[in-house]
Amino acid sequence: MGVDRFQYLILMGLCLVITLPLEFIFGARVWRRPRRLLAAMGIPLAIFVVWDVIAIARDHWSYNPEYVTGWELPFDLPVEELAFFLVIPICSLLTLEAVRRVLGRD
Amino acid sequence: MEYTVASALAVLVVIAVELLWLKTGLLRKLTFYVSWAIILFFMVLVDGWLTKLSAPIVLYNEQENSGIRFPWDIPVEDYLFGFALITLTMLLWERWAQRHPDDEASRRTTGPLIRRR
Repeated sequence: MGVDRFQYLILMGLCLVITLPLEFIFGARVWRRPRRLLAAMGIPLAIFVVWDVIAIARDHWSYNPEYVTGWELPFDLPVEELAFFLVIPICSLLTLEAVRRVLGRD
Repeated sequence: MEYTVASALAVLVVIAVELLWLKTGLLRKLTFYVSWAIILFFMVLVDGWLTKLSAPIVLYNEQENSGIRFPWDIPVEDYLFGFALITLTMLLWERWAQRHPDDEASRRTTGPLIRRR
């Protein structure tokens, strides 16, 4: 009920908010390189969405209806999972680039 | 055990793709390992929340994994899954820059955040 069904989506939103300073304070320059970002994310996104669809179909895992919106893409893929495969790689690249800047080496 | 096998295989494939094909050199850089130490910490927090058995967001079929959960209720396979997803993304991120050196010129002129004397 209520806000609980947005738990997964809110968690993904928090990941984006928490990592935003890496871009604008640490100068990670990930969000500001959209072509490179697309090039990095496209193939993993496709592979892992397919993996997820297969895993759901073969009952490796499922999603608790209490904590997801119920909004589903084709092949029973919760919209939250698409968000996951977009958000987590971006957070990771922000970390990589921020670390590179702080270390001052490649 | 399908998830166990698939996630272990994914890690091997990603490493093989780097060593045999992409050859970005990222796996030999300190930046990669420092980044992973930080990412791992936050992965445990996020995945810990997703998988906690007291109020799980993701429900796992224990027939398809090892049943080993650490810390809290995180299936160990999730680390392999996460490693494959994140490292593949990083490798392609590096690859693009190496193939488009002009596009990265701005990065070199800005220099490191902490200047060394």
